[in-house]
Amino acid sequence: MSLLQELGAQLRATSDELPTGLVTAAMERLRNATEILNWVREQSVDDLGVPMLGNATEHAERAAAALRATQDAIEAYLAAIGLAGTPGAAPGQEWRAALREDDRPTAEAPGPAEKPEALGPWWQQRVAQLTGEPAPEKQQPPEQTGTPELLRRVAAGVRAGDRARLGRELHAVTASTGLGLSAVTAPVLHRLAGDLLGHEPRPEDVPRLRSAAESRVRALLPGTPPAVLETLIGRICRAPVKEQPRGGTAADPATDPAGSGHPAGSPHPADNAVTASVLTGVLLARLGRDAAALNPDAPEPVRRPTEADEDRR
Amino acid sequence: MASVAEVRAAVDAALQQVSEGQAAIEAARQRIGEAQQSLAAALDGSASDLVGAAHASLSQADQQLEECLGATFVAVEQAQTYTAQL
Repeated sequence: MSLLQELGAQLRATSDELPTGLVTAAMERLRNATEILNWVREQSVDDLGVPMLGNATEHAERAAAALRATQDAIEAYLAAIGLAGTPGAAPGQEWRAALREDDRPTAEAPGPAEKPEALGPWWQQRVAQLTGEPAPEKQQPPEQTGTPELLRRVAAGVRAGDRARLGRELHAVTASTGLGLSAVTAPVLHRLAGDLLGHEPRPEDVPRLRSAAESRVRALLPGTPPAVLETLIGRICRAPVKEQPRGGTAADPATDPAGSGHPAGSPHPADNAVTASVLTGVLLARLGRDAAALNPDAPEPVRRPTEADEDRR
Repeated sequence: MASVAEVRAAVDAALQQVSEGQAAIEAARQRIGEAQQSLAAALDGSASDLVGAAHASLSQADQQLEECLGATFVAVEQAQTYTAQL
């Protein structure tokens, strides 16, 4: 290896190890927290820290953009010194870190996760509304399944087209495990969408992804608001996302026809997590891969030459 | 009918998410610090504008994460103050 090649390899390694996946995971956690607090504070004049969380999320979004700019600058520099296209790590590996249980960031302070789950019924009610599958009559204690394992189980249920199984898997976990799906799925969805499209997802890919996923997601999650899937696809493609409408009250049957106790105008915190996990399963199935492909140590999938063109034909 | 215990549980769940987000941000900042050192060592003596741009955007990422973390601390304090009054 020449000195120049060694320099190139070192720069590529630095670029590959930039913490884009960690920042994405942090953003999803903050969005989860914001959605939960928004749901709690509906109609309260106290903001419960929601605007500050919004600021925090914006800062994280800018940090993610700055990291991408760093990677672009390094890539441009490598091209300028004649090292464009030299092999580095396979691109888009953040999803592996997200799915590795031991690598996931956890708070050091003892948190609510160590206390008995108090949000179980709240989570299960929403899962029932989203999937159309009621919670089991004989309530079992929540399984101690980690979020990555839950995602693999959901993906297996989606692959089988089995809505009852999907409902069972989601009902069986704690709210905390279920809400974690938002953070875990973000890099996975980006990678799967890229594999399906044959390139990095771009804003103009929104219609293609929508048509690839919408009908199956709706079939498996008949209760999910359409805006939730649209927001997820927009984030995958880094497209500007329209603000979801807010308003309506839980007491108003016009805005809460299902009597869910949830205001129809604001997204329920569980919606994003559940829909993202099902969308992951749908994209995986479209790629002809099974749930084992979501194992962080799974071999890098070999991209079939015709795969990216599947939708065009 | 929601109870105070349920409101507390929901806020606790939100704060758990924030706490995990904070841990991710701190880990990301550590990785950025390592990347800054690695870039500085590898590109010492370079006069390229692209190298300057890489350094600048890395610093910007770190700065944004620092501000992000600060905002989360304020948010947590506000939420805890609210639940203490329940």
